[in-house]
Amino acid sequence: MISIGHYLLLSVFLFAVGMIGALTRKSAIIVFLSIELMLNAGNLAFLALARYLGQLDGAVMVFFVMAVSAAEAAVGVAIVVAFIRRNKTTNIDAANLMKW
Amino acid sequence: MIASVLFFALAALAFAGALTLVFHRHPVVATLGMALATLSVGALYILLHVPFLGLFQVIVYAGAVMVIVLYIIMALGQEERGPAVGMAQTGVTLVAVGAFLFQMWRVLRSTQAGLMPDVERAFGSIQAFGSLLVEKYAVPFEVASLLLLGAMVGAVILSRRQWS
Repeated sequence: MISIGHYLLLSVFLFAVGMIGALTRKSAIIVFLSIELMLNAGNLAFLALARYLGQLDGAVMVFFVMAVSAAEAAVGVAIVVAFIRRNKTTNIDAANLMKW
Repeated sequence: MIASVLFFALAALAFAGALTLVFHRHPVVATLGMALATLSVGALYILLHVPFLGLFQVIVYAGAVMVIVLYIIMALGQEERGPAVGMAQTGVTLVAVGAFLFQMWRVLRSTQAGLMPDVERAFGSIQAFGSLLVEKYAVPFEVASLLLLGAMVGAVILSRRQWS
């Protein structure tokens, strides 16, 4: 049978994979999607615990995280488009204007 | 029994999609891997007795976000030359992910993992969710609407042409 531990373990692994992607990939779009993957992993943990405790509050939190990540997607994609237009590449190493 | 099989199948799909996102070099394939992962996570929501959040997941992530990102990649950002990261960056990543996994391992080990209990029929219904949303969480709900409005304005301003 499935326990809460299975869901939390899957959530941890998804988060770790997203973390690797956000820290090592060079394409701004893939970094952005990796962060979305980490949000998804957090959502899964929220919902599994909501189901485990029998309280819907965790589901409401998932709903708000979805709203925030939709807003983040809109602004993030606009930033990526402006970045590509300016630098002619998606490589985030080109974002070195404020690098010391 | 069937729930267990479904869980493991969906978990494997989600994990495979996540690995495709992070380790595949072609950005379109990587994005499709992310779509697979989000669809699997949405199906897991349905398995967790909250079906409409699963539908939201499909509409918001697989529907809206993935389509926008695929559009951007195909229109503007085709090229990417392999993940040739430096030693320092790899080291930082390994340390960060290792610390995260170690901490999570400690947390998960210290809790006894119970089986998923049976829930009453009303759990996860739209009615229960909606009344919770407009009663207990009314203020965050309104703030979320303001946030979406602000994001929309910000996205429009950011993508004006005269910025270059």
